[in-house]
Amino acid sequence: MELNHEQQTQFGPQADSQRTLYPYVTGTSVVALKYKDGILMAADMGASYGSTLRYKSVERMKAVGKHSLLGASGEISDFQELLRSLDELILYDNMWDDGNSLGPKELHNYLTRVMYNRRNKFDPFWNSLVLGGVKNGEKYLGMVTMLGVNFEDNHVATGFGNHLARPILRDGWHEDLSYEDGVKLLEKCMRVLLYRDRSAVNKLQIAKITEEGVTVSQPYSLKTFWGFSAFQNPTVGAEGSW
Amino acid sequence: MKKEHASFNPYDNNGGTCVAIAGADYCVIAADTRMSSGYNILTRDYSKVCKLADKCLLASSGFQADVKALQKVLGARHLIYQHQHNKQMSCPAMAQLLSNTLYYKRFFPYYAFNVLGGLDDEGKGVVYTYDAVGSYEKVGYSSQGSGSTLIMPFLDNQLKSPSPLLLPPQDAVTPLSEAEAVDLVKTTFVSAAERDIYTGDKLEIVILNADGIRREYMDLRKD
Amino acid sequence: MENSGGFSFDLCKRNGWLVEKGIVKPPSFTKTGTTIVGLVFQDGVILGADTRATAGSIVCDKNCEKIHYMAPNIYCCGAGTAADTEAVTDMVSSQLQLHRYHTGRESRVITALTLLKKHLFGYQGYVSAALVLGGVDCTGPHLHTIYPHGSTDTLPFATMGSGSLAAMSVFESKYKEGLTRDEGIKIVTEAICAGIFNDLGSGSNVDVCVLTKGHKEYLRNNLMPNPRTYVSAKGYSFSKKTEVLMTKVTPLKERVEVIEAGDAMEE
Repeated sequence: MELNHEQQTQFGPQADSQRTLYPYVTGTSVVALKYKDGILMAADMGASYGSTLRYKSVERMKAVGKHSLLGASGEISDFQELLRSLDELILYDNMWDDGNSLGPKELHNYLTRVMYNRRNKFDPFWNSLVLGGVKNGEKYLGMVTMLGVNFEDNHVATGFGNHLARPILRDGWHEDLSYEDGVKLLEKCMRVLLYRDRSAVNKLQIAKITEEGVTVSQPYSLKTFWGFSAFQNPTVGAEGSW
Repeated sequence: MKKEHASFNPYDNNGGTCVAIAGADYCVIAADTRMSSGYNILTRDYSKVCKLADKCLLASSGFQADVKALQKVLGARHLIYQHQHNKQMSCPAMAQLLSNTLYYKRFFPYYAFNVLGGLDDEGKGVVYTYDAVGSYEKVGYSSQGSGSTLIMPFLDNQLKSPSPLLLPPQDAVTPLSEAEAVDLVKTTFVSAAERDIYTGDKLEIVILNADGIRREYMDLRKD
Repeated sequence: MENSGGFSFDLCKRNGWLVEKGIVKPPSFTKTGTTIVGLVFQDGVILGADTRATAGSIVCDKNCEKIHYMAPNIYCCGAGTAADTEAVTDMVSSQLQLHRYHTGRESRVITALTLLKKHLFGYQGYVSAALVLGGVDCTGPHLHTIYPHGSTDTLPFATMGSGSLAAMSVFESKYKEGLTRDEGIKIVTEAICAGIFNDLGSGSNVDVCVLTKGHKEYLRNNLMPNPRTYVSAKGYSFSKKTEVLMTKVTPLKERVEVIEAGDAMEE
């Protein structure tokens, strides 16, 4: 059987140049949680080119439509392309002018299908996505990975956050967290990530979504502490040793 | 030259265990609610049991994205069936549909391990068990997923099923009462959670009988 | 070249080739997919460990011990291949004991550290032991981590194993200098619990070891946070074993005559 052109490029020798085989410019963890009035999300603004911290002012959380907030880690270009196509989706949805609008649940489901579809084509969007939102008094927080694995939870974290932030969130999260406590909990996570994730930078944003809409904070830094005496003089007691 | 980067792997294993037991007038379908990836727990509360028709439930573990896609395909096919036939699909029909759907992707399989449980036209419990590419068999009880190697021998010991080679064919349903079956399911999962790292957090038991569908939950180890 | 004991790597190349060709599968080892931690507090060092040992996705020991004895004043938590962590700590603890017999003095943590890292470096990472070494000697409290390749680190708080990140999230947000004994035990227990509940390679119970000047306190199963969640009220019966129907012993007849002595075997 003859392969048509599309199939040839998908599986043939030229295929390599057509797909994302590995990411180029990547963002690290996104951390998000449900709180009393909606969803809070945090992400730093660094973007790495391999192991080089190449960009330091990349926004990785954006509003999508009226009721949703999307955060992403992984390939930045894929995320920006995804945002463009989502804007188009929202625009076409608006053009019906029927008073309906896509809520966070619908968008999350849409994203799961987009991500799964791309993995089926062996051309994945190299991202982990976090979608939070509030519509009709209902809070929603979900996650999708680049393979299309998806779930909802009261708190989520991508990438390194899965290892370092989830334990803190599982310990500190409760149902009616106030805004202040929610931010405190997120900052606790972001501080630990800053200490232990080599691609994290001390410039982050916190985004909030409630029934009133989305607000993304101005970039700011966290206070850190490096003054342990063991760091000052590690070989005390065995001078000149390891 | 060796490749510098690991190539893209379209599969993941999100773990989990499923069990189904068929009785004379009931069917018990159960699965744990842990979803994991590698050594990480993604969420402690993800339901693996999906209602496909009024008297047909599917429990699946494996790769969650494939499982979700499979459930969506079956849901859509069932909707078409309802429009065409103006009735719910029977359990044996759904069992065949699931097999066909799995085999359709024989060379890029759904990485999903399924047990289908339900009631047949006479209200008798039925269980079908599958491999990832659609080979299936009607049985009296089954287990699939990460803890199945621990659970299956115990079920074999407790619910010796008649050989499928016997003539005349023997009924595959188990002799247990509904309460006994639920108790057995709880015990198997508690034991599996002790020794299988991908099984735990919570057990969801769905019981199907003449009264309809009932769900029960029980805590499992969270470590 | 003269052989002087140790491991033989003669078959490494062949085994690598066999695995690559898919002819054989490498054997699975008991890995202590682990959470181990340690911290320095005001009067000494506290070590902690979970008690799960795994072989692949199966738990092969629900209550193993991962805090190993090195010397009366030095203990060592081990992660990695169980056999390696045990062998390497036993070996070094024996060397320390001999050294104490020779010198008549208390062992120092730096000595244990040096012996461990020299051994591990010599084996280039093939002895897969990741260790947290803690102790109190005449120069004060010390805490070190040792990686399988032999690199070491000196730290106020340390974690190792597959649950190291979960445990570190607790330390990074709660550790401060000059902790009391009780505060220290609490944070160590919390860190191990973070590993137990968030990392699938770690589980079961919490072991703690408190080392202070001239004193050690080994708190085996300090916390047991994973009780069985369900026990069937009726219990289970299992079918009868195969019955013995007949017992008859037939003595063997001697067919050949055995002649004692003869030519000595060639060496």
